[in-house]
Order: sequence, then structure tokens, then C-alpha cells
Amino acid sequence: MTPAFARTLNALGLIALSVGLIIAFLDQFIKGDLPCPLCLLQRVGLTAVGVGLALNLIIGPRPAHYGIMIVSALVGGTVSLRQVALHVVPGTGTYGDAIFGMHFYTWAFVAFALVIVGAAAMLFFEGQFEKIWEMEHPWLDRLSQFAIGLFAVLALANTLSTVAECELGMCPENPTTYQLFQSGTGSG
Amino acid sequence: MMALPFLLLFLALLLAWRGQRGPSLGLWGLALVVLLVLFKEHATSTIGIIL
Repeated sequence: MTPAFARTLNALGLIALSVGLIIAFLDQFIKGDLPCPLCLLQRVGLTAVGVGLALNLIIGPRPAHYGIMIVSALVGGTVSLRQVALHVVPGTGTYGDAIFGMHFYTWAFVAFALVIVGAAAMLFFEGQFEKIWEMEHPWLDRLSQFAIGLFAVLALANTLSTVAECELGMCPENPTTYQLFQSGTGSG
Repeated sequence: MMALPFLLLFLALLLAWRGQRGPSLGLWGLALVVLLVLFKEHATSTIGIIL
């Protein structure tokens, strides 16, 4: 596998992560489902995975960057598995709406598992780590810049959204309102 | 506090963009530690399942 092909796969992976975070935002802002603390921590896990992908795009593919993805996915997967376990027994309730038959935390667990498998599989292709001369790929640079830019915007949006929801403290277990706006207006 | 790991990771992305790999890795590690601490704070109840 050439470094350029590896970068292409990393760019597509980063865009796929962004799509997942955008779907979560759509559910939050359109359907009004505020993310719970564990939900937010799973978003953090996805964002941490993205740092490894972004480093592969900016610095170049390195085994340590795939290590970042695997460790992040292990931590994020642990959080999602905890939430799955909270609701796995019938009659114990759920959090949020299901999408395509599964809840967000279950999809998050699937995503983290796929990241671990995908990053581990990429480590087998050692050709991407060799310093070989390659042609310039302007389209790949543009794709990488788009993927990193979109992902960085989503990381910042999650920062601001979480401040709006929880202010600077801990989030309530079952959030129903944006605390920042509530305290700003003095109501409730 | 819950926004802190997002902010750290956003800054890690900015540093990576500027080519500062070491500081970016440091912020990523710090964000993961904060994530684990927050997870410990929120995962306190016992789950009624048999493993």
C-alpha cells in the first residue's frame, strides 16, 4: 500500500467519523435529544480517534497514529459498552431514539469496534510507512484539508454545544435543557 | 468540565495542523485522561447483569 492510498483511506475514515458526529448533532438540534454524559464521552472518544486519522493526513502514516486510534476506540468503546449494559436487559429502558434499529450508544460501540479492526488491519500494510518518492496529488491534499477542516469544526462545535448544555461543570444524568441559556435568562 | 476533553482535542487538531506532532500527542493523551476521569465520575451505579 502506497502512502497516498493510505492517506486516501484515512481521509475517508475522518469524513465517516464526521458524518457520525453530524448525525448526532442533527438528532440533538432537530429532534431535541440532548446528549447524556456517557453520550458526550462517546463523542469525545470519536473525536480522539479522529486525531490519529488527522495526524496520518498531516504528518504522514505512522504506526503510532494508528495506535492513537486503537487506544481511543478502546476507551470510547468501554464507555459505549457501559451504556449498552445499562439498557441491555429488556424493561430497563433506553436513552434517546433508535436509528436504523439500534440506539446511538450501540452504533457507537459498533463504530469503535470497526475502528479497532480497521486500524489494526492498516498496520499490516507496511509499505505506507516507507519514505518513497511519490507524485504530487493535489486532489488528495484538498480531500485531506476538507476532512481535517470539517472535523476540527465539529470538535469546536461539540466544545461549544457542551458548554451550552452543561456550562463549565458536570452534566446532569438526564439533561432536559441547555443550562447556559437557562441561567442566562434567569428562568427555571 | 465535560467540554474540556473536546477543547483539548480541538487544540490537538490545531497543533497537528501546524505540524507540531509532540504537543498534539500530549494534548490527545491529556484529553483521554480527562475522559477516563469523567467516565469514573459518571459510572458509579451497579448494573443488574450477571457476567
